[in-house]
Amino acid sequence: MIYLDNAATSGKKPESVIKAVNYALNNFSANAGRGGYKLAVDASNAIYRVREKVSSFFGASSPLKVAFCPNCTHAINYVIKGVMSNGGHIAVSDLEHNAVMRPVYKTNCDYTVVETSFTDDKITTQNFENAIREDTRLVICTAVSNVTGKIMPIREIGEVCKRKGVLFLVDGAQGGGVVPINVGKYNIDFLCIASHKGLLSPMGTGILIAESDIPDTVIEGGNGINSLELKQDSEMPEGFESGTLCLPNIMGIGAGIDFISKIGIEEIYEKEMNITSFFYENLAELKDVILYTPYPEKLSFAPVLSFNIKEKHSEEIAEYLDKNGIAVRGGFHCSYSAHNKLNTTDVGTVRISPSFLNSMNEAKYTVNVVKKYNLFLKS
Amino acid sequence: MEHKIITGSITHATRGRDILRTKGYKANIERKVSENKSGCGYAVVFDGDLEKALDLFRKADVKILKVI
Repeated sequence: MIYLDNAATSGKKPESVIKAVNYALNNFSANAGRGGYKLAVDASNAIYRVREKVSSFFGASSPLKVAFCPNCTHAINYVIKGVMSNGGHIAVSDLEHNAVMRPVYKTNCDYTVVETSFTDDKITTQNFENAIREDTRLVICTAVSNVTGKIMPIREIGEVCKRKGVLFLVDGAQGGGVVPINVGKYNIDFLCIASHKGLLSPMGTGILIAESDIPDTVIEGGNGINSLELKQDSEMPEGFESGTLCLPNIMGIGAGIDFISKIGIEEIYEKEMNITSFFYENLAELKDVILYTPYPEKLSFAPVLSFNIKEKHSEEIAEYLDKNGIAVRGGFHCSYSAHNKLNTTDVGTVRISPSFLNSMNEAKYTVNVVKKYNLFLKS
Repeated sequence: MEHKIITGSITHATRGRDILRTKGYKANIERKVSENKSGCGYAVVFDGDLEKALDLFRKADVKILKVI
């Protein structure tokens, strides 16, 4: 099978990640942060070492700012509901995933959807600045759109937020481990990451980096702190780590970061974008293929590409590709906002998201299958 | 002389222990439930200058609950 759905989850995990997970299962079967015996303290220590790696990789100020959550969606919920618990206004981009938009909607707070540009980041930044009001408490922007692959100007938006004194949340689900993100340099208050995607780790653990306070918790329970008190503090990191952490996954995250760091995030990105550009160039030549973004220039786009074939539903195209051994995702990719922007709420899009482990031969084969399907439709 | 700084959590204790070790202290972690009225606590146990250690903890945002 040719796996081209890495925006959903990384298809192939490095051997070092699998080994790290196995090592944890074999050697750290104790509940970290609970007991005082050596094995429990060793398990906590192993988690702390990964906090250090995450902190360093994403430019956080301290490992104490790194919390592990059940997934990126939980992390985003913690920030949005915790920060907005006393009301206020939110400014949010028009390319957000439902992991952002549904919690925003649930807060009942007033929000502005900010129009973004595929071609001019200055327009996007200016639109965010214009959307900030006196009562704006939180600005939210994805690092990379999960439907179009557009890399958002989060550094510039972060500068605006800092100048205006507004908290800035970045959804790093699609961008974490794929494009460089530096919390400190980009003035990001909160970064949420889906580690099973760009960080090549197992599913079921997300990361929250919080450089600013989150005044309220969303999920409460046992966290190894102040067990005789019913009120749970919202201090990082354990305030947002209720319940037992998934230590094997966390060890996998550490190994994933090591793997990426060893090869180099730029080198991985370069290869992925070469494949993405190949897809774009070849699909653009087909008369009935619809592409939704400009040519994916490096540093402006990540390896995610949406397309359609005229008069066909994206699911039908994805199904045809699946029958030919190619895994891509059709439909709406859990993002009403992005499909509303693209005017594709009727048919969705076919999303191709290669990884650096894909080969150019796989890309050529995929293009030929799309060509065959296109010819079949005409005959 | 041995000192014990009770911290907010195992993560804070680990941060504190690591900082002390990088400064040349011989430091370890002990669980000290009995020393925290709210229940559950981890102590960083070390020999050396207490005031300097407390200063290092504060600069690194390590939450200090109690000193023994």
